[in-house]
Amino acid sequence: MSDPSSINGGCAVAMVGKDCIAIACDLRLGNQSLSLANNFEKVFPFGDKTFLGLTGLASDVLTLKEDFRLKHNLYKLREEREIEPETLANLVSSSLYERRFGPYFVGPIVAGLHSKTNKPFICGFDLIGCIDFAKDFIVSGTASDQLYGMCESLYEPDLEPEDLFETISQALLNAVDRDALSGWGAVVYIVTKDKVVKRVLRTRQD
Amino acid sequence: MDIILGVRLQDCTLVATSKAATRGISVLKANDDKTRILNTHNLLAYTGEAGDTVQFAEYIQANIQLYLMRENDTELSPKATALFVRNQLATSLRSRKPYQVNVLIGGYDTKTDVPALSWIDYLGTHVELPYAAHGYAAFYCSSLFDRHYRKDMDLEAGLDLLRMCVKELEMRMPIDFKGVYVKVVGKDGVRAIEL
Amino acid sequence: MSRRYDSRTTIFSPEGRLYQVEYAQEAIANAGTAIGILAADGVVLACEKKVTSKLLDKDGSAEKLYHINDQMMCAVAGMTADALILVNNARVTAQTHLKTYNEEIPCELLIKRLCDVKQGYTQHGGLRPFGVSFLYAGYDDRYQFQLYTSNPSGNYSGWKATAIGANNSAAQTLLKKDYASDMSLRGACELAIKVLSKTVDSSNLNSDKLEFATLSLGADGRVVRKIWSELDVDLLIKELGVLEKADEE
Repeated sequence: MSDPSSINGGCAVAMVGKDCIAIACDLRLGNQSLSLANNFEKVFPFGDKTFLGLTGLASDVLTLKEDFRLKHNLYKLREEREIEPETLANLVSSSLYERRFGPYFVGPIVAGLHSKTNKPFICGFDLIGCIDFAKDFIVSGTASDQLYGMCESLYEPDLEPEDLFETISQALLNAVDRDALSGWGAVVYIVTKDKVVKRVLRTRQD
Repeated sequence: MDIILGVRLQDCTLVATSKAATRGISVLKANDDKTRILNTHNLLAYTGEAGDTVQFAEYIQANIQLYLMRENDTELSPKATALFVRNQLATSLRSRKPYQVNVLIGGYDTKTDVPALSWIDYLGTHVELPYAAHGYAAFYCSSLFDRHYRKDMDLEAGLDLLRMCVKELEMRMPIDFKGVYVKVVGKDGVRAIEL
Repeated sequence: MSRRYDSRTTIFSPEGRLYQVEYAQEAIANAGTAIGILAADGVVLACEKKVTSKLLDKDGSAEKLYHINDQMMCAVAGMTADALILVNNARVTAQTHLKTYNEEIPCELLIKRLCDVKQGYTQHGGLRPFGVSFLYAGYDDRYQFQLYTSNPSGNYSGWKATAIGANNSAAQTLLKKDYASDMSLRGACELAIKVLSKTVDSSNLNSDKLEFATLSLGADGRVVRKIWSELDVDLLIKELGVLEKADEE
């Protein structure tokens, strides 16, 4: 009960494919066992091809979403260009470490393609900003154990966008069905070099 | 164990709050109003720690009023009001002594002619919902709302839904909460209504 | 001249004047002209570029035009270094408002905040006032398109068309003569070039001497802010042929 990162529930996952990435989250927001909303998205776009997923305490998810929007907007004005995924990852890391001794209770993940080279990039963080670079997939949230299991068995390298969509969707859907605090719908983003596709998945509502 | 309920209807938002003010095992008052009017089209309903609630509500009320004066009577929209309240609670959460206050904000957006209802807890969790409740009342009323709520409900249908909730609460809650005050937030502002 | 009352910004002269503030305004009166015109469907800001050395390394960004947020821009006349401080301040203020209310800051509120800063430097001792005037072009859902100016004293005012910097009174006379309140953005751009062609002391006006920016609404109802490329500016000058017309008169 008193663990802040599992009061509201929810999870997110990101995967690397062939010249593409996918990032997905569930839509539940609850107050312990009581579900409140089935439209709480946890993945936010930062520019055209970079995404940030935030799971954990919903209050901190909202705070950080707004904080990073502020920092991203100022970055764009100062640099006169979009932020790269690697840069966003370091921004997230240093912003979280600023609160080392009174942390935000979140599990962020970053996924995106480099604006020029279109090289895929994904990474995850702990709540104080330690970056976990990965070549395959990153999971986060109350269903992270289940997601690890699903991803380990379903993931294979160099998937095409459509296959990556199927893989990440099945991994997420079957993971959240084994977690009481996640589910209630899902959102998947598939990012390729010239387009971003957002798909909303309908799931069981219990 | 205070009760606050909110329902967003087709052209207004209803907010119901219990009349009892309790402390420990005693009911101290049977005409306690747990709401504050923030501006013409926004109503704040609150529950939580005894001292914190009124203090917080009136602090928010004062700040919304201040914004009104500074900005030549431009009202903050329901969304902006809710965001502001959320920010105050989220900031307070990491202070030495956080406000332990949960709130509902019933509003009416005069620009888009859309009613709004926000659920915010002491952690700063904010969601916009069609119907909402805090505390134990949520456990008893959520299922009723899920079953009977329609988004095109008019005022009378909304009041019927609240009557159902109050009936259920009177049956299940362990203490007498002395009935509820009901307020309507609509196009013409906030008004009280008999259930 | 009287040096007794102008060494510190905080002291009134016996005639009730603040010399430092007036000197700051004087400094701006020598800076490159910037004019702003409010049209029915947008706002245009146009500035005269003073530094035009061939050796100057262009970094691609405008010299006197700045984006403030998604629905505001400003033009600067005066000391660019001072302006940078205030522009940054404005950007942070705008984003902070967006963060607390999840709504873009109303134009006038942002300008008010910025002018509070400017005013502070005319009152608190030991510091000089900011040596910049601004033209702000903005859009918000309450008043739609807007045009404001502010000066070192911290005063601000809203306009349909105005000018700051060198020759601003001449420019304002021209604007007063030719401004029509139902002007289109295109017409406003034309007027801007026409006025600048007369106030800038240069025989042939081109993108080396001009900076241009417009604010309008896109098809999706979102605000479009555009700082024009040199190519676009030259194209506009050529298309309009305002220069030839001006010569004929």
